[in-house]
Amino acid sequence: MSGGHRVIEQRRGRCVLVGLGLALTLVLTACSNDPYPPEPPGQKILYSSFTEAPRTLDPATAYTTVAHSVTGAVYETLLKYHFLKRPLELMPGLAAALPTVEDLGEGRSRYRFVLRKGLLFADDACFELGAPGARTREIVMGDVAFQLMRLADPKVGSPVIEPFANIDGFQEFGSALAERREADEAFAARPVHEQYAELGGIRGIATPTPWTLEITLHRPYPQIRYWFAMEFSTPVPWEAVAYYDGQGGRPRFDDHPVGAGPFYLAEYDKHARYVLEKNPNWYGVRNPEWRAPAAVFPEPAEESDVDSGRAEYAGRSLPLIDRVIVVREKENIPRFNKFIQGYYDASGIIKESFDSVVVEGGLSEEMKERGMRLGKSVSPDVFYIGFNFDDEVIGRAGGERSRKLRQAMSLSLDVGEFLRIFNNGRGVVAQSPLPPGIYGFDSDYQNPNRRLDLERARELMVEAGYPGGIDPATNEALKLGFDTANTTTAGLNQVRFFTNAWREIGIDVAIRPTNYNQFQDKIRRGDYQVFQFGWVADYPDPENFFFLLWSKMARSVAGGPNAANFMDDRFDELFVSMKARENGPERIAEIREMRSILERERPWIELFHREDYSLYQGWVKNVKPMGLSIPTYQYRDIDPEARRALREEWNEPVLWPAWTLLFLAFLVIVPGVRTYLEERQ
Amino acid sequence: MGAYVLRRLAYGVGVVLGVLFLLFVLFFAVTEPEDIARKALGDKVPPEAIAVWLENHGYDRPLWPWQDFEENLLFDHYRRMLTFDFGLSDADDSPIVDRIRAGAGPSLTLTVPLLVLGLLTAIPLSLLVAFFRETYIDRMGVFLCVLAMSVSTLLYIIGGQYVVGKLLRWYPISGFDADPMMLPRFLALPILVGILSGVGGDVRFYRTVFLEESSRDFVRTARSKGASEPRIMTRHVLRNALIPILTRVVTAIPFLFMGSLLLEAFFGIPGLGSMTFDAIQANDFATLRTMVYVGALLFIFGQVATDISYGFVDPRVRVE
Repeated sequence: MSGGHRVIEQRRGRCVLVGLGLALTLVLTACSNDPYPPEPPGQKILYSSFTEAPRTLDPATAYTTVAHSVTGAVYETLLKYHFLKRPLELMPGLAAALPTVEDLGEGRSRYRFVLRKGLLFADDACFELGAPGARTREIVMGDVAFQLMRLADPKVGSPVIEPFANIDGFQEFGSALAERREADEAFAARPVHEQYAELGGIRGIATPTPWTLEITLHRPYPQIRYWFAMEFSTPVPWEAVAYYDGQGGRPRFDDHPVGAGPFYLAEYDKHARYVLEKNPNWYGVRNPEWRAPAAVFPEPAEESDVDSGRAEYAGRSLPLIDRVIVVREKENIPRFNKFIQGYYDASGIIKESFDSVVVEGGLSEEMKERGMRLGKSVSPDVFYIGFNFDDEVIGRAGGERSRKLRQAMSLSLDVGEFLRIFNNGRGVVAQSPLPPGIYGFDSDYQNPNRRLDLERARELMVEAGYPGGIDPATNEALKLGFDTANTTTAGLNQVRFFTNAWREIGIDVAIRPTNYNQFQDKIRRGDYQVFQFGWVADYPDPENFFFLLWSKMARSVAGGPNAANFMDDRFDELFVSMKARENGPERIAEIREMRSILERERPWIELFHREDYSLYQGWVKNVKPMGLSIPTYQYRDIDPEARRALREEWNEPVLWPAWTLLFLAFLVIVPGVRTYLEERQ
Repeated sequence: MGAYVLRRLAYGVGVVLGVLFLLFVLFFAVTEPEDIARKALGDKVPPEAIAVWLENHGYDRPLWPWQDFEENLLFDHYRRMLTFDFGLSDADDSPIVDRIRAGAGPSLTLTVPLLVLGLLTAIPLSLLVAFFRETYIDRMGVFLCVLAMSVSTLLYIIGGQYVVGKLLRWYPISGFDADPMMLPRFLALPILVGILSGVGGDVRFYRTVFLEESSRDFVRTARSKGASEPRIMTRHVLRNALIPILTRVVTAIPFLFMGSLLLEAFFGIPGLGSMTFDAIQANDFATLRTMVYVGALLFIFGQVATDISYGFVDPRVRVE
């Protein structure tokens, strides 16, 4: 080989060595499983995750748990729920007190809210629109009125028009707005706050002073108060809606919330991560001396609050943490494993790991040793099987015969077994539509037609004229259809559980899988007999469950959510009365009578209320789920030192397999090369 | 050359138009706009909100031109695609162009190193097994390649996350951070998994190519002139096997922008693959049709680029 060639070869060899050295350095510096950059000292950061990107953060339309985890922290409401009291109880938020109610006669009433003075929105560039150089401004009741007008605006497409339609002139305002926009293009092109102002606002909403809001209802609806504890009615600055229009590089209002909550949205990539920072303008931070109920950690309300150490926090100003980092984690298994490594502060429990985490309803020894805690809460929901009362066989036309058939079908289902098979035993067997935590729920109540009693079910079949399940008209097993839009294998297996149970009393229920639209179409046409639905409460009031069986909500008549088309005069009478009544013995008596009607009539077979199991790291304090999708970040506390130490302990890399692999590769390749070279020589 | 490129591009236009039509028909055959609206808005929303959503997204119009020649979804679908006016996502109303812009970076940070490192792994390995042809290294190599090809990518992902992420704790199980100090630790595991899942097929393919080249006359001549085996493999065999390698690589290059569907989805990398995966799960027709359209365009571009590149690596090839 010539000298030139040798130099080139040497240079090449050096390049390879440098390249390998660089690659090795890269691999070694990358060798850490910590997904976060170093934390700034002295900051308390909560780490969490989300699965699906929120569609919108507009408080008029956001209606999912993931969206509420942002909007609930960024927007503040006039009323709030007490963090520790169960059942949930309303308390003042931005409002100085709970609203006063004035009876105007003929079912009309007026609610009067008074706002605290000196409240500010979070800093934002949009306020330049109102006053040059301004970064924020004072919140006034006009901002709440503006948001209520947005709810009525058909262009916004809010999902909660129906409850707010109890406000005098609410729907007329929406219609007038649509008509005017249709007729006048110049009007339609103006900013919405100018359009609303020109139409004169909603008749039933008045702001006699900047800090007073009067809402006039044209029919009784005391539940309206709950809607003022939701972000739908939060104060929204007109400047934010006008400024964040998606033009000129500005985001849309959907993606850029401007509120007055304990946190503001510091970073938002809806498909990857978002960061909430403590809002220095929040009244709890700016004016801790006010000792406002929603800005101070409450006194313990239950024994469990004392046992879990929450009592020590009573009276402390909120929020207790500085920042919340929420990362998108689409898959369950990586999310759970990262929680086990200490990189998330809380997690649900995946099915695959349930048995290793939960033993006999409590935490496994391994989890206890890691200092983890298990939180259980029953969700304010109900899952049920419904019967279509418009159907000739199963519905009202069949009279006593159909009633007994429905009762027999109700007595054939073992829901406890269903929960054990399909949900790791998680869930509370439902006895009535009301779940625990909702006023009127009675833990001692046992529905006589809502248990497994095959003997009685068979007797009822005989009484109904279907002995052994045989339909005398055909001399064959009675045939019914179960429509389901859940056509996944798991979904169909669940339906199969029910149809197999009914086969025990001789009924042949065919499963009719359809897609959601076909199912909706069938429901519109009344072409269905048995179906399965669920309902999650919007607010903690029995009205929000019993209205699903009110005749005015019947699907076939009004297109409402009463898909069973259940219509019972006495039930309706009791519902209307119960709905307007304050909690107390009379309301309880009415709830009991409604419950007994459902017990007998069986428009539903109540199945279960979901039970959520959550795991929390030992360094997270003050976790008390509220059931409804209400974030409680401001109450949480973190011990960052304990977290850092445990993360280090749990995540020491195991390097011996890398060295073993390299050694094995060496053992395989070197003899081969040597043999080959020897053979070639 | 110019005429050839134009002809190929003209074929491509036909293919794209056909793809767009098929996509339109297939999508509306299996789903209805109301389904998409329900998925986006949730089950609780009243019919009025669904109607507003349909109107805002333009789905309140008839499907076909014979129903309404001026205002129909088919023409609108073509108009939007051909003018690159992709509009808003059906799932979350975000502008699709912005999402493509935001997603291309993370996708490329994964796919470019994956392609380069994959080549740097597969070519030396295939040269090695070809070099040791018909020895136990060759046979073991082929066996391992077939084994590696037989395992599903999903298993590599889950296995990689479990072993490397959970048990050995070398790299994060999933996640992404564009900070240059953080990025390598997030990319290490997906790249490792990507290489492992692809190396079997690549080595099998390149080994065949190299073996075919190594039996040619010029290799025998080089050997008879006393050239060493490593020199023959790297200087003569590798250089002459560039055409099939190039075909594979150049065809793959345009698709680097599209990201990797499974790797991005499972490792939480917010790229275009992940975006497409989300769109499939959410019935997001607007995003899906955009991605299929962009994919078809890139495919045609890749085909033409491959043909042209032949001329550069092999002067005997002339495109006419």
